[in-house]
Amino acid sequence: MTTKILLAISGLIGLGELARFLSFQPDPLPPEQYDLGAADQYPPGSHSVISEARAILLHSPDGFSALSLVCPHLGCTLKQDQDGYACPCHGSKFDANGNLKNGPANKPMRALQVETTPNNRLILHTET
Amino acid sequence: MKLATVISSAVLLLALVASWIIQDRQLKPVALTPTLTGQVEYCLTCHTDLSQISTSHPVETFGCVRCHGGERLALNADLAHSTMRGGANPSDLAVVEASCGGSDCHSGAAGNYRDHIQRVQTSLQTTYAGAIAQILYTFGAQADLKPRYGIQAVEAREKTDPNTPDALLAFDPSKLRSPGILEFAENCLTCHLHTESLPGSQTYRFTGCAACHSPTTGGDPEQIVHRLTTAIPYTQCNACHNRGNYDLRSMTFQTRSDAPTDRLHDYYQPIAQFTRCEYTLDCVDCHTRQEAMGDGNIYSKKKDIQYIQCKTCHGTLTELPKTTTITDPNDLALRQAFLNPVIDLKVGDTILVTDKGEPLWNIRPLSDGTYEMFGKASGQRFTFRSVKGTACQQKVDQQESRYCHECHAVQR
Repeated sequence: MTTKILLAISGLIGLGELARFLSFQPDPLPPEQYDLGAADQYPPGSHSVISEARAILLHSPDGFSALSLVCPHLGCTLKQDQDGYACPCHGSKFDANGNLKNGPANKPMRALQVETTPNNRLILHTET
Repeated sequence: MKLATVISSAVLLLALVASWIIQDRQLKPVALTPTLTGQVEYCLTCHTDLSQISTSHPVETFGCVRCHGGERLALNADLAHSTMRGGANPSDLAVVEASCGGSDCHSGAAGNYRDHIQRVQTSLQTTYAGAIAQILYTFGAQADLKPRYGIQAVEAREKTDPNTPDALLAFDPSKLRSPGILEFAENCLTCHLHTESLPGSQTYRFTGCAACHSPTTGGDPEQIVHRLTTAIPYTQCNACHNRGNYDLRSMTFQTRSDAPTDRLHDYYQPIAQFTRCEYTLDCVDCHTRQEAMGDGNIYSKKKDIQYIQCKTCHGTLTELPKTTTITDPNDLALRQAFLNPVIDLKVGDTILVTDKGEPLWNIRPLSDGTYEMFGKASGQRFTFRSVKGTACQQKVDQQESRYCHECHAVQR
């Protein structure tokens, strides 16, 4: 009788550990799409920083576009300044359109795709 | 038989309970996915209290593993640290290429000013080539003073001086029998960037890049120093310089006997002469990156690489100091000023420049004919005049500091 009780408890604990093992969730990968909400939230001429996507959404007369705020040099987050964007880590600068003004970066800011859904919501794609 | 079954069941139950408890007590990992690597790492689970090493190396961008190595997913300290590069100092020259190298980091092209590691490997502070050549010559192991050996074998990079060697072999005293050379090897090879510092807080420094860029002197050697800077105070240079001398008779290092507590007396050894600016400023205010870190040529004497003179800033009776106006937004001066923003420098500004064209980015002429300098370590603003137009009695061909000391040396 004792043996049966001990084995039964062991079995339950074992099942518990197995369940814990199987339910392990690895750290999620960063998303590659961001739902930015209704397009009319972003008036013409607006420059909206999308912090979670490390990107900036631009609404120009040509429509919506976006630039990655990840510096093409080593990946620091670019900051907006009066002339465009600047890297707080190494000093690279970019104009308001993301074109390189000075290094150490040697590439312009990466353009991101902005999709407008049929119900007029904006989806930002950050995948490379 | 029944008793054995009961005991086995009990042991199994205990093992499962113990396993559950151990699992439950494990640290909850703090995950960080640095932009640069894109790979999750758990180092911050334990190291949340470490300050950011510099504004150029934010942890969100670099993480820890890119520079330090280590097992990024381990939660056990021994396992996590087991594959770290250079212990706590990834800039040790044995591992610096893996830690700090890369074309966008510190072993890129000279034209992009990214060849720090290559230049340092050839620098006198690393090779110790002159001292080794001097000793080998003195004890008859070579016929002249030409440098042939360094602490490590090294090749010149982008060699511009035809009078310097193309390469050095690694100095290996085990193949030599001269007692003098062996004593030198045992006692006198503690200055170069490969070795640990001499004992004592005044000589405490790291190896490799951190010897200069992670100021430690006067601090507690047991304390972790997690800092990289180009604002290097003279005290850091003095971890090696001005702390004493090697006695070539006894082949031992003799520390200076005074114990100064103020800057005036601490800066140079008691026998030295110097001017006010030479002890008020920090070493890096005058001496350039090429002088300190090498220019790719393999030199044998400090005099071969050290070229800044008083006239570099003060000019002569006939010439004003050299200046240059910054026209290129990629100018090295702007990059250096960005890393150590003691001065607000921009395109169009005029700064002083050395005879070799290195920017003295912290010094610029003023409209009234004087000059202003910002201390790289102190941030202090100094103003000074040029020699031209003064009653200075210097001879144009006598520009070494010892000539200036004749009139301008500080009394102490």
